[in-house]
Amino acid sequence: MPDYRLLTSTEHLDHCVIAEKSYAMGDGMMHVMVFPPEFRAVQHHFPIFFAKDPETGSFYPTALLGLEQDENLFLESHGWGAHYLPMMMERSPFFISFQSSIEGEKRPVVSIDMDSARVTKNKGIRLFQDSGEPSKYLQDVVKKLEAIHKGHQHNKDFASALLELELLESCNVEVGLEDGSQRKLTGFYALNEDKLHKLDGESLSSLHSNNFLHSIYMCLASYSRISTLVEKKNFLIRAKNKQFVSEKEVAN
Amino acid sequence: MQMQTEIRKIIILGGGTAGWLTASIIASEHMLDQESMVVNVTLIESPNVSTIGVGEGTWPSMRTTLKRIGVKETDFFRKCSASFKQGTQFFSWTNKHEQSYAHPFTLPNNFAKTNLVRPWQDLKTDIPFAEAVCPQLPIFARHLAPKQISTPEYAGHLNYGYHLDAGKFADLLRHHATEALGVVHISEHVISVNNKENGDIKSLTTSTNEITGDLFIDCSGMQSMLLGNHFGIPLLDKHQYLFNDSALAAQVSYEDENHPIESCTRSTAQKAGWIWDIGLQTRRGAGYVYSSSHTSDEKAYDELLEYIGETSTNINLDSISPKKITFQPGHRTVFWHRNCVAIGMSAGFIEPLEASALVLVELSASVIADQLPNDRNHMDIVAKRFNKNFRRRWDSIIDFLKLHYVLTDREDSIYWRENKDASTIPESLADSLAHWKFHPPWHEDNIYANEMFPAASYQYVLYGMGFNTQSLRSTKTAKQRWSGVASQCFENNNQQSRKLCSILPTNRELINKIYSQGMHTI
Repeated sequence: MPDYRLLTSTEHLDHCVIAEKSYAMGDGMMHVMVFPPEFRAVQHHFPIFFAKDPETGSFYPTALLGLEQDENLFLESHGWGAHYLPMMMERSPFFISFQSSIEGEKRPVVSIDMDSARVTKNKGIRLFQDSGEPSKYLQDVVKKLEAIHKGHQHNKDFASALLELELLESCNVEVGLEDGSQRKLTGFYALNEDKLHKLDGESLSSLHSNNFLHSIYMCLASYSRISTLVEKKNFLIRAKNKQFVSEKEVAN
Repeated sequence: MQMQTEIRKIIILGGGTAGWLTASIIASEHMLDQESMVVNVTLIESPNVSTIGVGEGTWPSMRTTLKRIGVKETDFFRKCSASFKQGTQFFSWTNKHEQSYAHPFTLPNNFAKTNLVRPWQDLKTDIPFAEAVCPQLPIFARHLAPKQISTPEYAGHLNYGYHLDAGKFADLLRHHATEALGVVHISEHVISVNNKENGDIKSLTTSTNEITGDLFIDCSGMQSMLLGNHFGIPLLDKHQYLFNDSALAAQVSYEDENHPIESCTRSTAQKAGWIWDIGLQTRRGAGYVYSSSHTSDEKAYDELLEYIGETSTNINLDSISPKKITFQPGHRTVFWHRNCVAIGMSAGFIEPLEASALVLVELSASVIADQLPNDRNHMDIVAKRFNKNFRRRWDSIIDFLKLHYVLTDREDSIYWRENKDASTIPESLADSLAHWKFHPPWHEDNIYANEMFPAASYQYVLYGMGFNTQSLRSTKTAKQRWSGVASQCFENNNQQSRKLCSILPTNRELINKIYSQGMHTI
């Protein structure tokens, strides 16, 4: 059960956070929400699809990290296996929550999940200096949280522009692996290139004025990154087979 | 040789649900492409005739129909006070089953390949048939929806139709038909019907106009202005099989706005008929359908109010003012005569026990849209096929409705005793019942294409009401054949049911989300 607390220098002066990504820290997710401002970096490493929020039914762009449930192929023995870490992963274990001011205005504040395995009192990076000033690490995290806060609205606008022009379609990604097995990804949505190419000038210009056209082409470019996931998965399969063979040799 | 004129101008008389649904279905097929418009659809409705507004339950077919005519499911929910209907639950239809039985819309597990009736009978279990084979029953009990907000429009985890406010539905369809589909709307009273020399209808005269057409569709309701009044096509009385000819319809408001919405129609048998109970977004619709030869209006009124009192809390019964409807159960001897076809109550009406009114409108209009006669000669062929087709559909509806009455063991009134009398049972149904004593209903029973009710519906009613099909004489081989597959089906159903209960929202929760978020088409 998550235990969200308002982050304060008095309460959390001595607390540290383990920033490394691993299955043990709960990073074993198959995909993670991403935002248009980070698309350029994201598309270089991960395919960008769309998924639906089960609670609201709304669409959001998401970077694919694995080929099955609870698999994150970028969690490697030496750490994160890509040159970019999506903001939603970087911000863990912090969240934005909203506090009502006396005037009834809601303002965003930083919260921390005290139940997260990342939060410790002796290991990792400190959140505050002894003086109570936020550490460099915390300052960076707060910047990411602000970007995420803006990003949610950005995602909403992006998705509704795509839906209005019927540019999203349900897609079934099927990949074959070296051991002859197949992985089928369901529940993801992709851009419909045929429809994109048939758009009239007016629609294109409106997409362009919101900078959505740029984001659309970043998504299209990202699809070739599926091969990165397949390579990583094949590598794991090979490693597993090797281990199996060497274990057999030892047994003999 | 005389050139045949093409069928280009379709005139629909009557602006209730039947009229607007028919107009929308035909127009969406033939008028969407305005450039190459070859067919023109005009609907005439009288400004001073009020619509009857019965028919608040639909079949799952309505999803296909709404999608076909281009209505968004989100708009439909927001504008028609609609809710999900996942089947019907029957209360007090038998003595021994004090508990209810259900006719859910979702087919039994693996229904395409496996008939689970005999394996279920062999289990000799206390679990009712529908519950053993269909995952929808625990959903009813928990007031759950058949889908999630993330499920695309018109798709579902479970099969569903709708409950709707018929008046609001007609409004939505009118707007859609006139604004999006190009249907011409004339709001004038029709004064006379004018014939051609050959006896076809030439035109309708209104207070200000004479409106000519090639095909006239009579959606004028029970008065059947064109087919019945003008052409004198008689009504075939079906009173000898289905006694109900009266209804008292009432609206019952919810105690508060968060009141749970039922997932199915509730049908509760009474002394001389049954009471329907339908949950919409802001109110329930409840009504008593009864036989005027077996009870009086006053007694029916008392029974209805007693039911409403028992099923509501904090209700002021004085505020309930039921509307009386009388009808002659039956249908026209033919539905399409010359250049006139009747759709809706002008074609026939029967008690709404299985909500067959709107589905017949959908089917009739679809046949016209899909098989639109090319010219006047061709129309006679289409008409002949149409009459044959719908005569069979009416017969199978009458058989299926009557099935609900013949299986009862109720003896507490003349109504129920007479309903089981052999002279009140259609021969075709008697034959089927005799057959089902030895073989449970299965796909091969449906010897015609486009059957009204799948074999599953007969199974749900028969075994829900305690019907017994004899064991096979060659039990050993048969048991060997199905035991493995069947137990897998029962287990799959069980698992599916548990999973659905854990992920599906309540009807109220989902409808609130449809208002706040909307559903997507993908």
